[in-house]
Amino acid sequence: MGRIFAVELDGRVYGCKSCNTHLALSTDLISRGFYCHRGKAYLFNNVVNFTSGEVVERMMLSGMHTVADIFCCRCGQIIGWKYEKSQKYKEGKFVLERGRIVDEIGFSTEFCVEGCVSMSDTEDD
Amino acid sequence: MGGVDDEEPALKRMKLSAKGLVGLANGSSSKEPVGGFSSDSMARLLPSEGDDQVVGSKGVIKRDEFVRIIAKALYSLGYRKSGARLEEESGIPLHSPGVNLFTQQVLDGNWDESVATLRKIGLTDDTIVRSASCLILEQKFFELLNGGKVMEALKTLREEITPLCRDSSRIRELSSCLVSPSPKQDIVKVRSRSKLLEELQKLLPPTVMIPEKRLEHLVEQALTLQREACPFHNSLDQMSLYSDHHCGKDLIPSRTVQILETHDDEVWFVQFSHNGKYLASASNDQTAIIWEVGVNGVCVKHRLSGHQKPISSVSWSPNDEELLTCGVEESIRRWDVSTGKCLQIYEKAGAGLVSCTWFPSGKHILSGLSDKSICMWELDGKEVESWKGQKSLKISDLDITADGEEIISICKPNTVLLFNKETKDERFIEERQTITSFSLSKDNKFLLVNLLNQEINLWNIEGNPKLIGKYKGHRRSRFIIRSCFGGLEQAFIASGSEDSQVYIWHRSSGEPIEALPGHSGAVNCVSWNPANPHMLASASDDRTIRIWGLNSLNKKYQHAHSNGIHYCNGGT
Repeated sequence: MGRIFAVELDGRVYGCKSCNTHLALSTDLISRGFYCHRGKAYLFNNVVNFTSGEVVERMMLSGMHTVADIFCCRCGQIIGWKYEKSQKYKEGKFVLERGRIVDEIGFSTEFCVEGCVSMSDTEDD
Repeated sequence: MGGVDDEEPALKRMKLSAKGLVGLANGSSSKEPVGGFSSDSMARLLPSEGDDQVVGSKGVIKRDEFVRIIAKALYSLGYRKSGARLEEESGIPLHSPGVNLFTQQVLDGNWDESVATLRKIGLTDDTIVRSASCLILEQKFFELLNGGKVMEALKTLREEITPLCRDSSRIRELSSCLVSPSPKQDIVKVRSRSKLLEELQKLLPPTVMIPEKRLEHLVEQALTLQREACPFHNSLDQMSLYSDHHCGKDLIPSRTVQILETHDDEVWFVQFSHNGKYLASASNDQTAIIWEVGVNGVCVKHRLSGHQKPISSVSWSPNDEELLTCGVEESIRRWDVSTGKCLQIYEKAGAGLVSCTWFPSGKHILSGLSDKSICMWELDGKEVESWKGQKSLKISDLDITADGEEIISICKPNTVLLFNKETKDERFIEERQTITSFSLSKDNKFLLVNLLNQEINLWNIEGNPKLIGKYKGHRRSRFIIRSCFGGLEQAFIASGSEDSQVYIWHRSSGEPIEALPGHSGAVNCVSWNPANPHMLASASDDRTIRIWGLNSLNKKYQHAHSNGIHYCNGGT
């Protein structure tokens, strides 16, 4: 594969678990209360360094949504999905699977971000 | 057609009623000049005039203007008799008798008479009359001075020039000429009378005195427009006046003439030397290759090994005798092109080097670092200057203008920084998308910017940067794909693409011209030979470099002699 183009983010960054490529800023994190069949997932405002798959209609916990899977641009691992058409607050946003990302790249990984079970964040997916 | 025709002679009527060329096909030898009559020009005809007032099929050229500029051109070419004959035969004098008299008086040096005549040639703008008079009187003044007639010159200055010419500093200058011992030390040397006439010509309105070389200027304008409209214009051949200029697409390189298979891994970068005699390539296999461009094709000159990381880019020295290679977040190496030896390694503790470029002087090199700073080194490895702060990104390109003043790099994901290292001025190009790479035009006036969303933007960077062009069609989703200027006068844009094709656009119109298949992997970089507008090189993930040339074999610059593709496996 050619010379991969990947941007670097400044600040507290979530990255790809396989290759550490920067994916999202913690300031873009909207909700930690999402789920996918592999476990927990986070909703982000914006994600970088990804490529998208086909746009499909998919049945999810909260109903039918139009989504596209997204992959790390460097290693190609699936990292989550993007909402194309959905409820207003989700449209154009991204979900990264907790199991595919590492947080605080460069910072101590012991700082646990998913301890707060009492997250009242909306539902599903 | 109503009453108009009834008063015209029969011959005229026949011509006027002809639609298209029917009535004129007899090649008439009548006294009336024949033009392309259409129903439009009929409508414009004034019933009382003899000749048609307009010529040409669109009815926008006025006959008397046309004849006058032709007459002027004949005189300029030295065909005085023809010019005079044309004036006579058409009944359209080049200049009014007053202007002719004026011209003669100026050339003869009859200054006072010429100033008087000036007022009689129908100039409505008084400032022009005054400026022209001043020019003439100054000439009179200088000629008197040169002839030693100081008292008369003084009289002219006092009585004629001073009341007329309001510019007091000029009057002072002229006065000082009276005082200075040698008239040759004039602030303005005495010019010849024909030069004076030229100056006066520029001052007077064009309807009064036809400007010099007007017809030549109009023809040049048309040729320029034709050339600009020619989308495939890529040839140095002279344009002819006999037919509209129109290059065929066959002058754009579109056929693979050679495949270079020496690299062991993806080829990420190619660039021709300034003189077009060499090609340099950089690969994921941690080597760079210098290729020689010869009449029999391109072949390996040197393989440059030593880097421990893939090489992301190269940079040719201004005199093409040395080459820089940059290992990704590693070091820069400087190589001698003729021997292939590594002359110097540039490194910095704590930061990897990510980009490299030569200073136009050839005495320094510039590099971007992984800590976002930019560093300047002397050739022997001594660091001389460093610019910290967010000047460059890890993935950024680096370039510098030919005057050695402005450094260009990507300082933020959406922003290109143009940084003047002397004045410390900063200019920015703000894009709405993330920038992946850029390329500077040869004349340093334009910047081609590649974006994340598969668009290429062209910016004019003289003064305030302005977006002036967009190119689309190629594919980019994961890699750094590069584009470049190229062809005759850099009239084209070429780019690599993740769909394995080479894309070419017409630069000023943005029209796509070619999408060239051939490579079996993403095309990462393209380079157009600056010395040969018919040669293009492309670097691909399929580990090869392709040389593209013209389809037809009969063109001057064609390299390959066979009909097939010439493979080169690296032997010299």
